[in-house]
Amino acid sequence: MITFENIRYRLLAIDTLAISPGVTSVIGPNGSGKSTLLKLCAGIAEPDRGTVLVNGRSPRETETGYVNEFPDRNILFSTVTDELASPLRFRHTPCRETDRSVRACAETMGITRLLDRNMQDLSGGEKVLVALAAACISRPRVLILDECDSHLDADRCAWLDAVLRASGAEYVIRCTQQMETAVEGDHLVYIEGGRVLHAGMPTAVFPLLADTPFYPLSWRWPV
Amino acid sequence: MRLVLDHLTACHPFWSLVANGVFSPGVHLVSGDVGSGKSTLALMMAGLLTPESGTVIRESIPQMMLSFQFPEFHITGLSVAEECRSWNLDPDAVIRSAGIDVAKETPSLSLSRGELKRLHLACVLARDYDLLLLDEPFSSLDCPGKEWVCRQMNKRAGGITVIFTHEQSIFPDIDHIWEIVGGELADCGDMPGAVVHWQHAPPLVKKLICTGRSPLALTPEGIREAACRTRG
Repeated sequence: MITFENIRYRLLAIDTLAISPGVTSVIGPNGSGKSTLLKLCAGIAEPDRGTVLVNGRSPRETETGYVNEFPDRNILFSTVTDELASPLRFRHTPCRETDRSVRACAETMGITRLLDRNMQDLSGGEKVLVALAAACISRPRVLILDECDSHLDADRCAWLDAVLRASGAEYVIRCTQQMETAVEGDHLVYIEGGRVLHAGMPTAVFPLLADTPFYPLSWRWPV
Repeated sequence: MRLVLDHLTACHPFWSLVANGVFSPGVHLVSGDVGSGKSTLALMMAGLLTPESGTVIRESIPQMMLSFQFPEFHITGLSVAEECRSWNLDPDAVIRSAGIDVAKETPSLSLSRGELKRLHLACVLARDYDLLLLDEPFSSLDCPGKEWVCRQMNKRAGGITVIFTHEQSIFPDIDHIWEIVGGELADCGDMPGAVVHWQHAPPLVKKLICTGRSPLALTPEGIREAACRTRG
């Protein structure tokens, strides 16, 4: 369980929140604190008050993969291969094992054709796919994706769901503005003004948003 | 007024794009897979990238604007106020229009990506352009933000609007659909007939077509009408 207790950080004010293993979608208006919540989960930021724990440990003691909402802010190296290999090289993984893992990960993520490319020559969606692969390559316990799907086409989004399920991550926490994507998750957290207004299964939370634009069109008008 | 793509080609070491077509006044939607060349096409349409061969003809289009996929690429002002003034716009009016709750002095790049996108689009949509090219205008926007952008586009009087997007749910009133398939810009045609030819149609639209209820419009109202229509 990922637990938040008495959190005060920037605009976030969360008295208590528990996130179970599985795929959790975080939704809410722009500027409501979704990305800030994800940064606390990842240990990129620490709260001014309160505690965040991942299975009882600090997020900074937990293997975590993270994809930033600004695609260019994920990029550290000039080539796709170096970018993908970087999490393994930082932990001194032997070169041969790193090469093997890079090829295997690229194949799983469907980006083998990009391996020889320069990062700056990639499209927005391709940059996101490489960042996602780099986040997954060390098989983290927690995988955090900040609006990865905003640069992906429908087929890629559907495929992304399958990849996330197969990633081996115990927790996948993602922000999304695609409600049809949020429907497919195991859990849903709705944030507004820095506060968690609703949390639970999508089937429990979305009906509470029925009068808002956040209610999925496919539920509003079932086909 | 029209935008003509005459045997336009773009060649990269790893992919290529061929585009022919005439864009008349109205709202055009261009879809395509990740990395298919949508942003490259937008840059060529705007005259910011020279095609390998072919010509882009902009007839009676004195004023044009291209909104990049990444709002952060547009930012020139350190603060929200400076950014608005760089567009020669009143910061208070832009902040109000964007619907963001930030102080004018807030550093531009400290905004969330959604807030930054709203700020940028509010600046872009504050003026009328003969040709408005919007590369992924919906990315990072929340659902009310997408609806706001759609309303602004629907309000545009005349002019050519071209939207390059992966959006799956919320669209303005689209007049014409295009898509990039197999390295070529394909013309799916005018709405409503275009949707049946549209390979990149969102899953909900595909379901409606499969059940014999092809939507007459891609707006939420159009989708609702199709979903509620008696089958057949």
